[in-house]
Formats: sequence, C-alpha cells, structure tokens
Amino acid sequence: MANITKKVSWSSRADESGAAGEGTPLLNGSEQPRHSRQESQRGRPKEIPHNEKLLSLKYESLDYDNIENQLFLEEERKMSYMGFRCLEISRWVVCGLIGFLTGLIACFIDIVVEQLAGIKYQVVKENIEKFTEVGGLSISLLLWAVLNSAIVMLGAIIVAFFEPIAAGSGIPQIKCYLNGIKIPRVVRLKTLVVKVGGVICSVVGGLAVGKEGPMIHSGAVVAAGVSQGRSTSLKRDFKIFEYFRRDTEKRDFVSAGAAAGVSAAFGAPVGGVLFSLEEGASFWNQMLTWRIFFASMISTFTLNFFLSIYHNKPGELSNPGLINFGRFQGDSVAYNLYEIPLFIAMGAIGGLLGALFNVLNYWLTIFRIRYVHRPCLQVMEAMLVAAVTATVSFTMIYFSNDCQPLGPEHTEEYPLQLFCADGEYNSMATAFFNTPERSVRSLFHNQPGTYNPLTLGLFTLTYFFLACWTYGLAVSAGVFIPSLLIGAAWGRLCGILLATITPDGSIWADPGKYALIGAAAQLGGIVRMTLSLTVIMVEATGNVTYGLPIMLVLMTAKIVGDYFVEGLYDIHIKLQSVPFLHWEAPATSHWLTAREVMSSPVTCLNRIEKVGTIVDTLSNTSTNHNGFPVVVKVSGSDEPPKLCGLILRSQLIVLLKHKVFVELARSRLTQRKLQLKDFRDAYPRFPPIQSIHVSQDERECMMDLTEFMNATPYTVPQETSLPRVFKLFRALGLRHLVVVDDENRVRVCVSVYSCMSLMITFLSLNAMMMMMTAVVLTSHFWFVTLLQVVGLVTRKDLARYHLGKHGLEELQLAQT
Amino acid sequence: MSLHKNCSFLVLIAINIYALVSSDAVNFGASDTADRLRQTPSLSPAVVNSPVVFKPVSDSSLSLLASLPEDLEINDYCSDLLLIFGQRYVAYVNCLVRAARPVMVCQNCSAGYSSLLDMYTNISSDQVGPGNVSCRDSLLRSDRLMLVFQLYNNLKNLWDSSGCKNCIAAGLQSPTNDTLYFMATLHQTTSCFDKYQHGNHTELCKNCKNTYKDLNELYSRMEKNQTLCIDIEDAMNMTRKEWSKKFNCSFPREETVPVIAVSSFMLFLPIIFYLSSFLHSEQKKRKLIHPKRAKSYTSLMNIQDKQS
Repeated sequence: MANITKKVSWSSRADESGAAGEGTPLLNGSEQPRHSRQESQRGRPKEIPHNEKLLSLKYESLDYDNIENQLFLEEERKMSYMGFRCLEISRWVVCGLIGFLTGLIACFIDIVVEQLAGIKYQVVKENIEKFTEVGGLSISLLLWAVLNSAIVMLGAIIVAFFEPIAAGSGIPQIKCYLNGIKIPRVVRLKTLVVKVGGVICSVVGGLAVGKEGPMIHSGAVVAAGVSQGRSTSLKRDFKIFEYFRRDTEKRDFVSAGAAAGVSAAFGAPVGGVLFSLEEGASFWNQMLTWRIFFASMISTFTLNFFLSIYHNKPGELSNPGLINFGRFQGDSVAYNLYEIPLFIAMGAIGGLLGALFNVLNYWLTIFRIRYVHRPCLQVMEAMLVAAVTATVSFTMIYFSNDCQPLGPEHTEEYPLQLFCADGEYNSMATAFFNTPERSVRSLFHNQPGTYNPLTLGLFTLTYFFLACWTYGLAVSAGVFIPSLLIGAAWGRLCGILLATITPDGSIWADPGKYALIGAAAQLGGIVRMTLSLTVIMVEATGNVTYGLPIMLVLMTAKIVGDYFVEGLYDIHIKLQSVPFLHWEAPATSHWLTAREVMSSPVTCLNRIEKVGTIVDTLSNTSTNHNGFPVVVKVSGSDEPPKLCGLILRSQLIVLLKHKVFVELARSRLTQRKLQLKDFRDAYPRFPPIQSIHVSQDERECMMDLTEFMNATPYTVPQETSLPRVFKLFRALGLRHLVVVDDENRVRVCVSVYSCMSLMITFLSLNAMMMMMTAVVLTSHFWFVTLLQVVGLVTRKDLARYHLGKHGLEELQLAQT
Repeated sequence: MSLHKNCSFLVLIAINIYALVSSDAVNFGASDTADRLRQTPSLSPAVVNSPVVFKPVSDSSLSLLASLPEDLEINDYCSDLLLIFGQRYVAYVNCLVRAARPVMVCQNCSAGYSSLLDMYTNISSDQVGPGNVSCRDSLLRSDRLMLVFQLYNNLKNLWDSSGCKNCIAAGLQSPTNDTLYFMATLHQTTSCFDKYQHGNHTELCKNCKNTYKDLNELYSRMEKNQTLCIDIEDAMNMTRKEWSKKFNCSFPREETVPVIAVSSFMLFLPIIFYLSSFLHSEQKKRKLIHPKRAKSYTSLMNIQDKQS
C-alpha cells in the first residue's frame, strides 16, 4: 500500500492503554476490531488529551463569497454609477485612515516602551552601581527580577483574564482571518487595547520578545474597526461606511491593516503589501494591491512624522520603522561572489536551529495547552519566565570577563561597568541589559572586536532557550526580534571566526554583515516566510544589494527547516485546532471525492418553513450547523425535495428577531419590509438563538425564505474530486458547498450558447453573468436542473485532511 | 580686467609701494598686513600687473608661470598671505607633534591654531585685496589639488575631533576655569598615586580613593556639561588605567556565593511550577465529535484497492 492513510492518534500518559501508537486506516475505520471494542464504551463522548490532530468546532468560516439573495441584488441594482464611484473613494479614505491610525499606535508603543524601559534600566543600573561598591549584588539581582515580574504580571493579567486571544504575536490569528476563519473576538477594540498594553508590558518587563508582530495584529484590528464606521464595544455607530459591513469588504481592509502594521513595524511598505499577499493571496486584485500599498505608505509616513517630532527634529523623516536596523554603510555592505556559499551554509544552520526552536516550542505549547490552561497559572508562568530571564541575564553579566573600552559615540545606552576597569564596560551587558532591538542594532553595527566570541556563544545559547520558552506565554509579544537577535549573535560569531581562521580575513569578514545574514537565516528558519520576509529584511536594512544573499539564505533556511518541522506560525495554528486551508489540497488526495468528504445527511429547510422547526433546528446544540440548504417539494410527486437555495444561521436569526412571518405580514399590511440594512446592523455579532424569544403561537407561523436565501449556491456533483472542491473553497472563499445527487435525475446538459436563452428567462442578469463566468471557467456545460441535496461540504470537512508523515491523515473534530 | 589695464600707468608708483609692503609683510602678523593693505586701497591694484616686481618674491620653480599671460599669475599680496599661512602651519604642527603624548594639544597649541585660523580666514574671505583680486579664488580653488584648502581642512578636522573648543576659553588663548580646576584635581590624585605607589597597593587604593573618586565625579559632571576635550579625556583615561590596571583597585568579584544561591533558587522555581502543574492540574481533555458521513464504504474500499 503506497498510500496508507492513517488516523494517527497521539499517545500520551493518560491514554497509553488506549490508542498509543496504534494507527487505524482512515476510510474503513469503523470496520477495525479496535473500533468495535470502543463501540461498547460509546454512550459518553470519547475524551482525549489535546493534540495537534484535532479540529475545533468553535471556529466558523467567514462569508467571503457575497450572499446573493434578492435583497442584495435589489440594492446593487438601485445603486447608480456615481454610487459605485463614491464607494471607491470611501475605500481609499478608509485605507488612508487605517494607515494613519496604525502609524499612530506604532508611535505610541515605541515612545512608551522607550520611556518606561529607560526608567527601569536607569533604576537597576543605579542600584547595581551602588551595590558593586558596597557589596550585596544579589539584592540588585532580586530587584531586577522583581521589577521584571511585576511589569510582566500586569501584562499577563490583562491578557489572561480579559482577552486571551491577544496573547502571542497575533500573526497566526491574522493569517487565519485572511484565510477565511472567524476567530472569535480577534478584531475587537478590546483586543487592540489589551494587545497594546500587553506588548508594552512584556517588552518593558524584559522578556525575550519584540513589539513588531503585535503591530500586525493591531493594524488588522484598526482596519476592521475603521472600515465598519462604528464600534460595538463603545456602542457608537457613526452611520458611515455601512456598505462595508460584511465579510468580503472587511477582509480587504483587514489585509490593508495587516500590511500597514508590517509597514509600521519594519519601515517596509512593500514588505507589508507582500505580507498580505502571501497570507491572503487567494483573493487579490490589482486595485486592492494599490490601495493596500497606499495604506502601508501612509502608516510608515505617519510613524516617521510623529517620531521626528518626538526626537525634536520635526520634518526629518528618517525613522521609518519601529525596528531600525540602521544603515549599513561603506565597506560593510560589500560582498563577494565567494561569500555566497558561506551565506548559504549559514542559511542551512538557520534552518536547523529554527527547526530545533520550533520542535521545542511545539512540545512546550502542547504541555501548556494541557496543563497550564487556568488563567492564574498562566500569569504565574509568565512571571516566572520574566524572573528567570532577569536572573539568567544577571548571572551572565556577573560572570562575564569581557570588558570593552567605552566607545567615543556612546552607542551603549546603559553601559554597566561592574568589575571592569574604569572607563570600560561589560560587553555582555550591552547584549542583555538592553531592549532586544537595541541589542540587534549593536550586533549589526558595532565595531569589529566589540564582542568576544565566548560572550556571543553564551549569549546565543541562553537567548535561544529563553526566546523559545517565552513564545506561547499568555503575554502579547512577537517572535521576530528574538529570532533576529539569536541569529545576529551567532552570525556575528561566524563572522569573527571566519576572520580568525583566514590569515587576511579582516578584509572580507565584517562581522556586522554576517550578523545580518545570520539574523535573516534564523528568522527564516523559525517563521518560514519567503517573499515578504526577504523584502522586509531588504527594506529594513535599506540596502537593495543584500537582496540576493538574503533571498538565498531564506530559501535555504526554509528548505532545510521544512525537512524537519513546519513553521512556528503553522504549528501554532495547528495546535489551536483551526480548520486552516493551505494553498493547495494535500497531495495524494485525488482519490477522495466530495461524497466521502461531505457531511451527510444534511439538515434542510423548506422554502416556506414552520417557525417552530427553524427554532428547533437552530437550538439543537449537537448539530451546530451554520448553513442550511433550502429545498422545495415537487408538487404532486413523491420524489425527494429539490434544492432551491442556501440560507445561513445568521440570516435566520435576524429573520426570527424581526419576526418576518407570513401570517404577520398578512395581518399587518403596513409592516416595513426587511432590508439588507437590518442584516448589516446585526453584523458581525449576531445574537445566539437562545436570546431570541419565540412564543408558542408564533411557533405555528410560517416563514418564507425565498427573498433571503442565496438562490444560486455553488453546487458540485458527488463525484467531484477533493482537489477540485478545495480549489473552489480557496479561490472563491466559499463557506458552504452543496453536494447534489447526479443520479437518476433528469439532467439538462446544454452547451454555453444554447443555454443562454434558457437562462435569460430564468435568471437575473447579474446571476447570469456570474454563471457565464462559472461556465467558462469550469466547463463548457451547465446543468440546468433542480437538484437533490445529498450533502454539504464545509471548511472543516476539507481542513480535516492533511499530509502527515505517513501519507494522508485525517484530523478529528473535537469540542474545545 | 579692464580696470587693471586702466590702472597700468601706475606701475612706476607701484614699485615704490611694493618695496615698502614686501619688506614688512613677512615680519608683521597677518592681521596687521591686511590692515595695512586695507588702508591703502587705491594703490594696491597696481601691484597685480607688474611682473618685474613679482619675480623676486616667487620661487624659482614658478618660472613656468612667467610665460603665462599676466592675468593668471598670482597676486603677490596673496603669495604673502600664503607664505605666512605656511609659517604658522608649520609652527602649529610642530606644537601638535610635541604635545601628542601625553595629549596636551588643547592646552599648548590652541594659540597656534587661533593664529592659523586668522590667516585662513583672511585667505578665504571674499574681500577683494589689492589688485582687485580675491585670494580666495587664486589660492583655494584654482586647481584640482586645492592644497591650501586640504592642508587647512586636515588640521581643522583634527581640531574638531579633539574637542579643544570645549575647554579653551573664547579667544583660544587660555584654558577655561573648568579645565584648570580639573587639572588641579588631577594633580592631587597623581601626587597621591606617586606618594603611595612604592608601598602596598591596597594601601594606595585605600588612601587615594577619595581624591580619585572626586576626580571621577568631576569628570562625569564635565561629561554631562559637554566641557570635555581630548586633554582631559586622555588624562582621565590614563589615571583610570593606572588605578584599575596598574594598582588593581577595581571592585573585586566577591559575592559569587550569594549570587549563585539566589539565581539557582530562581532557576529552581519554574521546575517546581511545571512539576506541580503537571501533577496537580487537571489535564485538559477534548471531546471528540463524530461527524455525519455518508455510509458508502464499498465504493471507498474499491478506491483504496485501486490505490494499493
């Protein structure tokens, strides 16, 4: 069997007797002896420890495909040409606002972090100086540790207790959002506030983290907020941009916000656009690119402008990003052809170290999900990490013998002397006793000979484990800067070693250059981004000549790293059990068809349905469906009902809320017709079904869904292959795909041209155009028939299949 | 140019004037010369057009120039300025070299720089000298090498990077009071070092600690006020080196044991934390949901058979 497919169960202590290491074939799983043994235990749902091969039920899809019901079409038709022009202009305005606000937030974070960190380091420095003289340095150590823990505790409390989704860098969450998954609360104002506060606390608290990743999340939240023209948290509705209150438009703005975030973080507007492209590329067009670029530019310009005012040089726009790698000048930029193999080798090292980082973090994260899930435990863990970070840093500094003379320019912000001779400072302290991004800059730019190899080696080692331990804590913090720092340290080490082993090495081995290459390799090895990361690095260094080496290094790092384990963000997405759809369907999935993938039988609703049935369907907790095919009974025959549309849970809830019942409409002739606006007002927080009260009388009423259902849902026959279904989902941003029966039905199969007349009689012009496109795109035939529903494919059904080590594997659905 | 030609009839008078000017020029300070020349503006243009007068002053290697058209030749007023510039330049460089180690350039040579600066200002001012020619054009920027400018620029860079401006009073003649005070304090410290250096170094560390500390504090105060120059920096550097390296008075690493104890306690905490949460915390379990699937295993079996 070449393609054995297995349902690999993760073995654990508690479950060892059960399924440890035992694999059951995927498709005929129920026929396995083990399964029948479990059959007896059925009754209560099976419980297993959390692992990466699960799909959570709590995530829903976003409707990236417009719901084309009659209301929508009517409104679109009413809009004039000028109306569309105005919309286009307001899109630009919104993008400008997104850029501006994102830049402001970045500026705020930067200034606050600098001020607070300045105070903290000053206090600790004075204390250390005092106790160096009179003795009692262990008190300084305690002071440092306690200060760190206290600040981090604050950050961890707001994250763990108020908004857990704000933990981490936020890049995985935004990746999921752009992929089409609705992560609850990810783009709310509260999340933004917690994120900003959390990131300030964690950077000031001296954790091995950066503030760049969270900027991307912040930008996305800003975008989602601004584009809606209201804030549900603040209960303010500005009555503007109402047209944008749906998933499709919001997604475009969120990608602009993510781009603006990257751009503010790294001063890399093009990198930001490419980041959005890389993460949300399935829905893309040129106009959108241009708008997103506009948002990015505005964002970096705003940051620039306000930072220049802060630095008392108004109008001088030379602070392009939060992290400023500084400019590589003169000889240090030059590289030679014979250095390329060296760079590639460093890329491979970066890939290996990155894979190690990811594997360690994977085990740690699994442990955290299983055992450290209570908020107070999470806060304690974060505090411990902060205290240990301070302790390790202090110990390293204390025992370091690497003393360097103070430079004339005083690049060291907080030089610590300790036991060094007067006029010299402790070199280890520049690396540890500083905010991480300053350390990165000094690693890139300090003179050759500023660090001795032992210092760098020890620093790399400790910082690697600290950063790995820190990522995944319940604090909002990014992994970019720590990765860069680790990479810069060992890269500089490489540069120094190269210079010592070659007799005339000093000519070509500028340590700063190797620090940059090492940083790129390490970052590439951990996050495995490709195009956007290259451009971000090139833009952040402001040097196009490094394009080629950085690209080669990132490529090598990705290839080497992917051989062992996925990228850090992908690991975390998996561990969150998110139904994430990758670029393409898993290889070797061609023999799966829609029939095997789909959920069946499907809960269908009649076109004119009893309210009681609808309420019962929606209230049924065991089947938490979100899309319901609408069917119509063929009058006077006993044939099964035929598909005529698709309706969403959210729509049904709005209908129930407004009591759009046939009987009421008859009795109250003056009743206002439900408009699209009512759906928009409820968006995006539709109330749960439990909050809607339906009286006993009303349960007997009928509801006509004709106007509200999507009359032209996408359908596929049962025999459609999985990759094809996958492509539909990925390219169109579908949420539900109806699988229809193609057997024993009258099927009118017509060519493009002959079906035209037929369609014109049936369908609106808009729908026809869409169909025409579909016809041209998919095949030359169109099935004009009323089809019987046999199943429904959702994102979760597709995301279940993924390529594991033993071929195609199936993930299990679980309640989390 | 036309002006020059009109004035050429004054050549005879100019000879006399020249004799006066050239004999004095070397002896007077630059400013004096300039003043003198400024006092006799009506006469000076005549000097330009007198090759006969020019020759004795110029070096023999300039004979090539003799064949050039008259207008391109250097004004002898300018050549005088050049000469004085050269002398002062040499004087200043001499002073610098003598004050190189230990660095005393600010205290000893600032006056020299001041006079050099005056001369250069004269040359580079766009004031029109005698003969209606500004020396700035003829001396500073008439060739690719721009020797005068380069020479001056080198020294200016030296001056700027030495930071002497910060510790020499305005007029560049004498050190500021701050500098003098620092030097006095420094002297105290070094004499203290001298006094004890033959005995036990711990004795020295103990006895000179106060003066050394005062000196250090004074230095860091001056650092904040930005009144440091290379003289002070170097003197401080040397003293610090003596203190830390020669006499070994830096702080010893004494409290290794408490630091190790505290840090190992800190490092021990997470182990306890993780162990206790592993043992006591309830493991999070996930409820599996069985999705509804079409029951058509036969066809699937076929597919799988095809695969194998």
